[in-house]
Amino acid sequence: MQLDFTSRELTIKLVYYGPALSGKTTNLQALHAASTPDATGRLMTLETRDDRTLFFDLLPLTFGSERGLSIRLKVFTVPGQVIHSSTRRLVLQGADGVAFIADSRVAETENNAVAFRDLRENLKQNGINPKQIPLVLQFNKRDLPDVRGEAELAEMAAQGKEPVYLASAVRGTGVVDTFVALLHQTWQLLDSQHGLVEKFGFDTTAFFADVLVKLTDPRPLSAVLSSRVGKKNPKGSKP
Amino acid sequence: MTSQRPVRSLDELTIESKFSVQELVSRSALEELLASLYDLFGIASKVFASDGALIAEAGSGSALQIYLSSLPGGRRLVRETVELVKTSTPKPNESQQLQCSTGERYVVVGLDYDGRLLGRVVIGPFLLTDDRELPEALLRCDPAIELERLQELWRLLNHCEALLIARVVVHLRTTLGLVLFSGHRALLASSMHLASVQESFRELSEKSATLQAAYERLKDLDRLKSNFLATVSHELRTPLTSIIGYSEMLIAGIAGDINDEQREFMGTIHEKGGQLLELIKGLLDLTKLESGTLSLHKAETPVLPILRDIVHTLLPTARAKGVVLSATGDAGVPTLWGDASRLRQVFLNLTENAIKFTPAEGSVTLSAAMTHVELPLDADDDGPAIVMRGVKRPMIEIRVADTGIGISEVERPRVFDAFYQVDSSSTREQGGAGLGLSIVKRLVDAHDGTVHIEENVPRGTAFVVRIPCRRLSFVG
Repeated sequence: MQLDFTSRELTIKLVYYGPALSGKTTNLQALHAASTPDATGRLMTLETRDDRTLFFDLLPLTFGSERGLSIRLKVFTVPGQVIHSSTRRLVLQGADGVAFIADSRVAETENNAVAFRDLRENLKQNGINPKQIPLVLQFNKRDLPDVRGEAELAEMAAQGKEPVYLASAVRGTGVVDTFVALLHQTWQLLDSQHGLVEKFGFDTTAFFADVLVKLTDPRPLSAVLSSRVGKKNPKGSKP
Repeated sequence: MTSQRPVRSLDELTIESKFSVQELVSRSALEELLASLYDLFGIASKVFASDGALIAEAGSGSALQIYLSSLPGGRRLVRETVELVKTSTPKPNESQQLQCSTGERYVVVGLDYDGRLLGRVVIGPFLLTDDRELPEALLRCDPAIELERLQELWRLLNHCEALLIARVVVHLRTTLGLVLFSGHRALLASSMHLASVQESFRELSEKSATLQAAYERLKDLDRLKSNFLATVSHELRTPLTSIIGYSEMLIAGIAGDINDEQREFMGTIHEKGGQLLELIKGLLDLTKLESGTLSLHKAETPVLPILRDIVHTLLPTARAKGVVLSATGDAGVPTLWGDASRLRQVFLNLTENAIKFTPAEGSVTLSAAMTHVELPLDADDDGPAIVMRGVKRPMIEIRVADTGIGISEVERPRVFDAFYQVDSSSTREQGGAGLGLSIVKRLVDAHDGTVHIEENVPRGTAFVVRIPCRRLSFVG
């Protein structure tokens, strides 16, 4: 996070993490496609010839109220392939929030677990406490056959504290939900740490309304946040 | 450059957006872009960095401005124009059209990237097609001004359609946006590449340090093991000497008569005690060789007498097995530089081994010959730079060749490891603890010599030992 008092600008770094080919780049592409032109710039991808992410993808997004504070978001993906561990660690540096994109297919369960352990390890290496960083989990590729059942995922999700969303990034479903939930969690943490609402007279409700307008999603924030699976106590209606 | 460090962090280049136009685009490429615009429409333009530095330009100033600069009043107008253009700072995504007191027009476009103003593009001077009248300020700027000249220069100015200017602005903004994006992408890729390499290097260095520490610890443990082995061997030898000595005395009847069965039992005790003593001696030798505490008494040593002595010693063993044992060698073979008793140990061991693994009606042959061996520059010298090599060194080559079971190519380098047996079942059959060859190897090493295994055609194995004729020196 970087706060520029003179230009009243807050830059937040969000990172999409996950195993190879789980759809991190596809999530960013869907997010980019959903955004209005005034909210986003070009989606930057640094890929190899076979379309695998080499270093990262970067989606810049800008939201903000007329007065108060404008919020610039830098949404990164990491390269999922095992050999790019040092690059993942570099991209994760200074992350304010992490979305973990898992592959829903039964056969990928072990790969998800390995990538999640890798995330925890790399967070620790960067001096970030894995228990404290805002984290949202997404089970992607719901459109494919042989995926883990929703009931099973919901049951397991209910035992953990991180919100879990189901998605099909190629079809654009669940992408905005995951992103908004991550932004919401991240914003709450940053506000509690830096007193942003108080210092800048920031209107959180108006901000998230602006986010949803610019992501062309007609739902209210509460509806987006409560689309998570396995919720015990639906939270998020609180601005 | 805004940073002195070779590698910029990802955050500097993305979150903080700390980079300049010059880092994203090359000046010459920008100049080419502006030149193409000038070629197409005759419109001059300039690109300035956010700190005001001129980065690229195409097209010269107008002839009108050159004329005005020659007059004091005209110079004032030109200065005003420059000041107006300089202070115009459009917001991101905006442009400003300016009309100066000379009547000339400029458009200033913000050079912005990702919401940050990196510099300005100044397009002009030009006139719009509607600009027909010369402005008052221009006509009255200096008493010496010539109206006809002024009108001529005014006609020469570039008269453009307003729509064309608007299109040029949009085109330039789009093109520069793409150029900056590509530049940023390339800058990120190269920075990430460097950072990843650095990160991998850091990781490898850490691992290498851990391995080094583990290696040091293992070396310490190995030293401890050798010391322990030396101590234990020494402590074992003392009581064993008593066992052998007293069994000898009993066999000799010093303590009174013993019957045949007792004699046979005592014989077994004596024989096995002797075997045990040999094993312990071997262990002691090995530990001494490993720790480098074995002292060699090197001297000019003739090799043939040693070989003949070995044949003499082992002839009964060979005969008992039905193996023919012989030693050959040219009488002219020179002396070698070594410790006679240790060399005897080497060849005795090799010959014993050869007899052990050669079946009846086979043969074991010891031979010695003079040879010259090229000295490698170092241990991993692999061929090139022949001219750089040392001189050939005279050495004595001793071969212990048998017609036995042979040793496969894979096993050859390993037989010199301590306690190694090619086939562990042969240990029970043939005896031995696998110490002999490792001692041979270390003794030969201590003589600056080499030992290796060759195939003995048509059948069997030849152990080839080479020992230098004289002290190591670079005199051919």
